[in-house]
This record gives sequence, structure tokens and C-alpha cells, in this order.
Amino acid sequence: MLGVIGAGTWLRYSKALLQPWKVGFSSLSAVDGRKHHLLDLQEIETVLTDVKADNVKVIPVPKHCDWADFMVLATGRSTWHVKNIAQALIYKAKQKQRGVERMMLPSVEGQAGGKWIVIDSGKVIVHALDEKARAYYNLEGLWTPGTIQNEREEDLQKALVKVRRKNNSKKPAQKNA
Amino acid sequence: MAAIFASRCSRVGRSLFGGLSNSSPGLFTTLHEMTCKNMFSQQQRTFIQMRTVLKVVDNSGAKKVMCIQALKGKKGARLGDTIIASVKEAHPNGKVKKGKVVYGVVVRAAMQKGRCDGSEVKFDDNAVVLVDKQGQPIGTRVFGPVPHELRQKKHVKILTLAGHIA
Repeated sequence: MLGVIGAGTWLRYSKALLQPWKVGFSSLSAVDGRKHHLLDLQEIETVLTDVKADNVKVIPVPKHCDWADFMVLATGRSTWHVKNIAQALIYKAKQKQRGVERMMLPSVEGQAGGKWIVIDSGKVIVHALDEKARAYYNLEGLWTPGTIQNEREEDLQKALVKVRRKNNSKKPAQKNA
Repeated sequence: MAAIFASRCSRVGRSLFGGLSNSSPGLFTTLHEMTCKNMFSQQQRTFIQMRTVLKVVDNSGAKKVMCIQALKGKKGARLGDTIIASVKEAHPNGKVKKGKVVYGVVVRAAMQKGRCDGSEVKFDDNAVVLVDKQGQPIGTRVFGPVPHELRQKKHVKILTLAGHIA
């Protein structure tokens, strides 16, 4: 019992002492000149419209999750289209920071495969997925609150096999955003 | 629930004890006893190396995997590293079978990992998420808490599939 009270006191003191460090660290990062984000949400939507990505959806991440503010889902028609979406976003970030002596680029994950590419630009995470990969992982069902999570037993290898794409024409599909 | 877990899994570094001892002598004895109890009672955690059995926390169908190689370090794998493992227990009708050699990303590790504010994060179990060779997760959901150090390790896909970020 006495040990439990001591543990509570210790944890309270530790949380109180951790708070100035957090404030100091955030102010230090604010001085760093990072007030401009790598990619804003309007710029991302403009780039995705230019590159003709299908079914662009912007999901605001709920407040208990501190690691991102918005999550953008975009569907490419093929593997090379997904790669071009990622390349266009990286190019936009480079164009925005032209002239800066040290350029900061968003981190890109999964560019070798091309099925699911994540562009992590700070507070906005852009996911560029193939049609089959988007149906397989079902990220809207996970991040949209209130939907029923019915998980299907679909195999990854069967889901990501190369089949004829759904939107076969050059015209863009109907946008839901 | 989450607050209790967050306070349990992150611990304050050693440098804070000096300031606390200067402030209050009575509190210092209590903290000293607690430090001795913690040091004597808890086992020292090691790296994830060959023949370490890890729990699988996605819905890929595997229950337990055994590590056969750590890809990054010589001593073993830590939080956020990629390992090669073989499946030891699997659900029937799952996506992977028993005996299959798979890649996995360590999402929870019993060995502690230091954060940038001086605290440490460590968990009670060793957990892994199965990925394929290109780094795509095999399952569609990740269960349990996942620390946000995976973002620095370029595993944002696993963070996206996780429901609870620690």
C-alpha cells in the first residue's frame, strides 16, 4: 500500500517534470522555421486533380491520434499511375522549396512496389493505392468513425495480382470528395 | 485505461533522479528504495535474436513466429526493425501457413527504446506485424498499441492500419 502511494507520487512528479521539456522542445522546433508545412492540403488536392487521381478522399483524423491531422486517400489506375502520383507530390514539394539552402522533402515509403505508396509530409499523410490494394486494406472503414468493421478473408497475393483495371477509359471517374 | 497503460509503458530516465533528490530528502529515500526494488525485481531485457518467439498482432492468420534472422543489427532486432521469421502457430484458413518463412516488423519490444524527451518506451511482450518482401503488410488490421517510433523507421503503413497509437 505504501509502495503504491509512493509510485503515484513518483509518477505525478515525473509527469510534472516532463512538461517543461515538452514545451522547450516544441518552442525549439518552432524557432526552427518549420511554420511552413511541406505540403498543404489545397496543394495536395491541386496536384491530385492535375495528375488525374481517382476517388480522392480527405479524412480528418480524430483528435486522440496525435501523429497526423489529415489523411488523403487517392486511387491510381495502375502501378505506374501510383508512382506518378507520388512523383508529382515530391516534385511539388521541391518546387515549393526552391532556393532554400537545405531542402526538406517528405518521406516516401513503398515506392519500389508501387501498390501502396505513403507520402508522409508532416501533418498530412497521402496514401496512393492501387484499386485492388485499396479494396483489400479498406482504410476508409478503419479511419471513418462509425462504420462497421467487417473484415474479409481475402488473400494478399490474390488481391494484388495484375488484372484488368476497372476504370479502363481515359476519362476520370466520379470523384467522391 | 489508456492513461494507466501510457504511464506504465513509459519510464523516466535516470537524469531526473538528481533533481528530485536535491528538492526533497524524504522523497529521495522513497525513490531510492523504489529504484532498488525495480532494479532487483525486473529482468534485464535483451535483443530479439534467433529463436525468439514473438506474438503476431495482425489478422494475417499467424499466431506465433520464431525469429530466424534480424536484418539490421548484429546483436539482434529492436523496436521498429525488420526480422525474418518462421511461422510456428497459425490459425486454420489463414493467409499464412505454419512453417512459412515470412518477414516481420517488430511493433512491440520488451527491450526499452529511448525517446527524444529522455523517457523510455518498453512493452510487456514482443509483437510483430507480418509484411511481404516489399514491405506491405499481409494483414489488414493491427491490434493493440503501436508506438509512433515506427514513423521514423518508415513504417507508416503499419501505423495507418493500427487502431491505437501509443
